[in-house]
Amino acid sequence: MKNTILAILALLFILPAKSQNEKFQINGAARSYLFANALQIDNSLDSITPKKSNYGHNLLDLGISVFPNAQTEVIGVFRIRNELGGFWGGGVTFNVRQLTLKGVANNVVRYEIGDIDLKMTPYTLFNTQEEGFINESDIFKVRRDILHYDLFYQENQWRMQGAKIDFNVLTNSIVKKTNVKGYLTRQKASDGLSQPERLYGGGSFNFIGSSKFNFQINSANMFDLTKTLGNDSTKFTNSIVTSNFNYKIINNENKSMKLSGEGGFSDTKYINNPNSNAPKALSDWFYDLSSSIHIKKKKLRFTFGVKDIGKDFRSPGAQTKRINYSKSPGLYQQFTNNYIGREVTYSDIITGNAAASFKLSETLMAYNAAYSNTNPFGDATPNRRGIYFHLEGLDSVKFKNSFIKCLLLQESVGTGTLERKSFALTQMGTTILLNQFLNLKKTLKINLGLQNELTLRGGEAYEQINLSSNFIDAGVSYEFIPKLNLLFGTKIWIAKGNENLIIRDEFNTVSDFKPIDINFSESIIAAGFKYDFDEKNTLTLQYQNFDLKNNSIDGIDYGISEFNILYSLNF
Amino acid sequence: MKKLLHISLLFLLIVSCRKNDEDTIEGPSLNDLYGPFSILDSLTLYDNVNFSSGESVAFEMEISKKTDWEIEIVGASTGAKRKFTGSDRIISLENANWKGGADKFPSFGLEKSYVTIRFPNEDGEPTITDSITITGLKKDEGILITSFEGEFKSHWDFFNQTTVSGSITCSDDNAAKGDCYYKWDGLVTWDWAIGSVTINAPESGFKLPPNANNLFFNMGNKMVSNTGMKNCFIQFWFDEDDNGDGVFNEATEDRFIYEYWYENDQWNLISFKYSDLKYDSDGNLLEVKGNGLPEPSKLISINVFFLANKDSGIKSEAYADHIIFTENETYKP
Repeated sequence: MKNTILAILALLFILPAKSQNEKFQINGAARSYLFANALQIDNSLDSITPKKSNYGHNLLDLGISVFPNAQTEVIGVFRIRNELGGFWGGGVTFNVRQLTLKGVANNVVRYEIGDIDLKMTPYTLFNTQEEGFINESDIFKVRRDILHYDLFYQENQWRMQGAKIDFNVLTNSIVKKTNVKGYLTRQKASDGLSQPERLYGGGSFNFIGSSKFNFQINSANMFDLTKTLGNDSTKFTNSIVTSNFNYKIINNENKSMKLSGEGGFSDTKYINNPNSNAPKALSDWFYDLSSSIHIKKKKLRFTFGVKDIGKDFRSPGAQTKRINYSKSPGLYQQFTNNYIGREVTYSDIITGNAAASFKLSETLMAYNAAYSNTNPFGDATPNRRGIYFHLEGLDSVKFKNSFIKCLLLQESVGTGTLERKSFALTQMGTTILLNQFLNLKKTLKINLGLQNELTLRGGEAYEQINLSSNFIDAGVSYEFIPKLNLLFGTKIWIAKGNENLIIRDEFNTVSDFKPIDINFSESIIAAGFKYDFDEKNTLTLQYQNFDLKNNSIDGIDYGISEFNILYSLNF
Repeated sequence: MKKLLHISLLFLLIVSCRKNDEDTIEGPSLNDLYGPFSILDSLTLYDNVNFSSGESVAFEMEISKKTDWEIEIVGASTGAKRKFTGSDRIISLENANWKGGADKFPSFGLEKSYVTIRFPNEDGEPTITDSITITGLKKDEGILITSFEGEFKSHWDFFNQTTVSGSITCSDDNAAKGDCYYKWDGLVTWDWAIGSVTINAPESGFKLPPNANNLFFNMGNKMVSNTGMKNCFIQFWFDEDDNGDGVFNEATEDRFIYEYWYENDQWNLISFKYSDLKYDSDGNLLEVKGNGLPEPSKLISINVFFLANKDSGIKSEAYADHIIFTENETYKP
């Protein structure tokens, strides 16, 4: 193991020296990640599952950028991964992590072909963040950053394979500039039997009139290609067309005020589908309008908005969840003496053991109502309407990332009953730079994040829902020796109540409900050290203990402890 | 202030855009899945119904939730049965309208019928019972050849082995429809042939339509004794007068043969499309002596022949009733 790390380090120090060439650059990342897990469960419940597991890997992402000419760049990122315990090539994998050709054609059109990252608006194409972090502390953030890097979950973008273009058209009319974007990607290959080849494409026209106003038209489309199957009969299409705008109403020394919004519609079709449950067409629309005021002297920004998302609004690009809750996590996948599948907890999300999405899903994925019930599919969650407000304190010397966010939503249409569920989601967070209060030279930082979510529905006894969940995300980071930080963090999730889980068929139609009682508390306590060799070079040692107390009927109490060492380097 | 007012008005305008789906729900009704069961509007039936004058029985009820229900009507004398099933919350003419038919033979007679409504998925399986007397039978749609009511016709023929009694039998409550049926009964140990009845067309003919493709032959049959798979069967001979001389010539004209083998010892409806007579049971074209085309308008004789295993050592018994042709669909008892 030591030899491997040394070899990687040596390689990394040598490569930059050799890559100082005008025609190509080398960059990348490397890490060594070691884990020691232990399942904590009563022996009477589980005497079968091996309780302890140790594993890890060394990994090198080697990125090579080749510049054939001034306007073209070819990027290749190659991943070499060696599982801990592999020897002389055993357990070693070589993967191509990215191959992209990008450039500018005729000094006008920017293009990218190959592995591309795409993001549009929260209602068209947007990779909404997973549940379980609000102003997360450093001890968890270190691990999540690694996970997001691995899964390409950067800045709410989806990694896809295809091509995209981008160019500007300048005019002398009211619209000074029009920015045009377009993309086409491949989502699924044909299986030759029933699944035709599936593509995803779209684009936007952004009309920029002045610094005060811009208006944009967006389109995102998922569609099956005809003639990619022998019978060529079934076909799925989903089209979303939206427009959004930003209008600065006031902008002076004291305050600025902005009006922004997005609205549009979706149209989903299942053409010639042999399943009798397949709806021929589903159409719906949405709007999200907000106004924000920035009081500059007080460093406050207040946003108020209204939104209404129709029950049949379908946007795979915006509604696909990062976490697949229907699959058991990779670690201790089955446990107990009855070999039951373990459900995803947010500990699995942090550790990267939960199944993650790489492709857009045309179906609304499963979710955990205790973690997120107001907006389980992001802003584009269908069948929601109501108001929201957001108070944000702009960063100061003593406080950072301070905000209060509140959503008061209701179902547009009742699920299973005319009574509608009401949702109240409140999130708040702040980072307190305690060293500024205590006049310490070294950084002492407290991260705080809180969430309260309520789901209520009245009516008859079988209709009533009352679910509350509370989430605390807190941590401390103290640089007690230069570059060496003591890290501490905790996440506590407590949920109690009942809910009627919505069961959907493959066409997103609500086919059934599953009444569930929720009564659990999950907690993670983590502590460790982080040593920053420099900005891009970090060594972290940490221990975390996850504990689940499940008080519902047939609930299983268990815990998972983990010790890990992470050495990461970017170059 | 003015701008704020404008923004507020804009918000209000947009909020008011959404249609308010007050009466729409997404997914199955929770009331149907988990709500309590009760009968909101109970069943009321008249004492009598005369189907022959076009009356029908509409079972009308309203229950508190969508749940599976079944309505069963059983004839007190014939044992005829008719069942309606559904899961709608409102039971009405739309989903439970009885026009006098049975699900299979035997058919209902002029008798008292018992009605039972069950809700099998509800706690305690609640049941409602009632009765209604049939004062007139439903009118059959089709061309009736015979229901064996009355005497043996002079232009018919029959064949019975010497130990077999084969004749029209009445008033023993065993008929598939009406009061009478044709019955074979006897022990035959030397031959599979038990007996047959040949329904020759009257001088005016059967008056069947010419199109064999939408014409169905139907007959009720019950095999009672010496039964079992591959043990007994009914053989039909359909003799056609291809040359129109009024006489069937076995050597030059079409005789289509169809066999129906034992399935169970209840009354069964034997039903098939007349045009299918040109194929054998394997789907191959039959070898016949005439033009090979099933032509109902040329049919001059139907022979119903009962055959059973001679080696079983027990008497053979079978019934036949209600020979009728229907157009476009099979007969509904």
